[in-house]
Amino acid sequence: MATREVISTGNELSALAARDAGCRFFGGYPITPSSEVMHEMSDLMPAVGGTCIQMEDEIAGVAAAIGAGMAGVRTMTATSGPGISLKAENLGLAQMAEVPLVVVNVMRGGPSTGLPTRVSQGDVAQAKNPSHGDYKSITLCAGSLAECYTETVRAFNLADRFMQPVFVLLDETIGHMHGKAMLPTEEEVANGIVPRKSFDGAPEDYRPYECEHDQPAVLNPMFKGYRYHFTGLHHDAKGFPTEEIETCRKLIQRLEDKVELHKDEIEYNEEFFVDDAEILIIAYGSVSLAAKEAIRHLRAEGIKAGLFRPITLWPSPQDRMRELGAKIPKVLVVELNIGQYRDEVQRSTGRLDIDGLFKVNGRPISPYEIVSKVKEL
Amino acid sequence: MARNLMRFTGVGGQGVLLAGEIFAAAKIKAGGEGLKTATYTSQVRGGPTVVDITLDDQEIFYPYANDGEIDFMLSVAQVSYNSFKNGVTPGGTIVVDPNLVHPTAEDRKMWKIYEIPIITIAKEEVGNVITQSVVALAIANTMQNAIDKQVLVDTMLSKVPAKVHAANLKAYELGEKYAREAIAK
Repeated sequence: MATREVISTGNELSALAARDAGCRFFGGYPITPSSEVMHEMSDLMPAVGGTCIQMEDEIAGVAAAIGAGMAGVRTMTATSGPGISLKAENLGLAQMAEVPLVVVNVMRGGPSTGLPTRVSQGDVAQAKNPSHGDYKSITLCAGSLAECYTETVRAFNLADRFMQPVFVLLDETIGHMHGKAMLPTEEEVANGIVPRKSFDGAPEDYRPYECEHDQPAVLNPMFKGYRYHFTGLHHDAKGFPTEEIETCRKLIQRLEDKVELHKDEIEYNEEFFVDDAEILIIAYGSVSLAAKEAIRHLRAEGIKAGLFRPITLWPSPQDRMRELGAKIPKVLVVELNIGQYRDEVQRSTGRLDIDGLFKVNGRPISPYEIVSKVKEL
Repeated sequence: MARNLMRFTGVGGQGVLLAGEIFAAAKIKAGGEGLKTATYTSQVRGGPTVVDITLDDQEIFYPYANDGEIDFMLSVAQVSYNSFKNGVTPGGTIVVDPNLVHPTAEDRKMWKIYEIPIITIAKEEVGNVITQSVVALAIANTMQNAIDKQVLVDTMLSKVPAKVHAANLKAYELGEKYAREAIAK
């Protein structure tokens, strides 16, 4: 794999990835600690004939991005937790109407306006269910500078494959840290783009929502002669509102199954010193950096600790976590919230004795805190 | 080289962020690993700001400096000095601007404290207060011997507009001169 070295920040790398993955529209409203994503997009988009627009608020920002998605363009918005709260209604619309969209959330302390400049992982549960109703979230979480780039690229490809919003979670630490990232070349990223499916039959035969039970809608770009109705209501094959019993059931079951039955296309994890581990640390995002440093120290002292790091948080890697949980006696989840992902680890492993090291004061968890917690287990 | 941990502290708006980025980028260009993180408050200007710089030849995972392991700290604001001084390893080096930061007598026993009027140098000798971050950069590198000077200066010049290259070069030379004098005292 050809690579290139880039010295940058996580937020800027996420914007660069969007451009390289073919994104040509950004709609948003700046918010700390995500603002640099939009700042960078305002430089990158016009240079490639794309559009970056600052709307009047976060709600309008995602609405504009969804509109671009309906027009067939790869599209993105970026924000932080308070912005996701505002965008939630429209994110539900994009889930229901099946509009591909990448949503970067650079997490800061919450709830509400919380701790604007400080790190948190408090939006993990929110990313699973930002809006009401049943659907399956696809949420990716970068654990290094390079992954701010590669996971954003992957998000665009998954959004077009599954025709729905895809979250990329960064956090303040990883979004703002500045250092070296080894990235795939622009050509390699361009060659990996798989455009969304389109219907090329007669316009009168076009049925965007008439698809297999486990497949996404096929939305042709608006204004090209392929007409359909766009709504957040339960809808039929042409998109018109309906309350027909089987149509409603099948639609929502399909939103679930298009992701649930194809998790193998989405799941992505890293395992670090897991093979002989007697203590398993589960961490993601910037916390995994502290965990790796902690494992270096622990291994030097002869303590066999390893790290399981989900890169796709939702749908969760439940099968792999169950296997590891059945094999490794001590499991510790380390996260910058009060156990939002530990709940998922408990559910996946079927174990209620999963330990936790949590922090919610806006400060990072240091490697030494992890080392001493592991020694207490 | 073992790990080199440096911390620059000031208040928002003083340009300490840029100095950190230059250090990290120069180390990477020299073939090593460098990471810069910044912690600041929601008060954009005037709030205490801390920049941690980690330089190593090995891969760096955790991007912050662990308290107690910091070899070198530079501070241009009392509020930040008070908040972050305890991260410096006993016997480590602290550089302060004596017009803005007043260490206690206990502090002087705990650490090697050097007083260099960084802001006055930038304002009066260079003639541009913004160059204080480059004066700070030069002091840190001269005291820590962290990176080849030429690589650091080239990296610095690549990050500032061409019209201020001369001023920033002057700021670097002055920072180096004052640092050598402080060590020699």
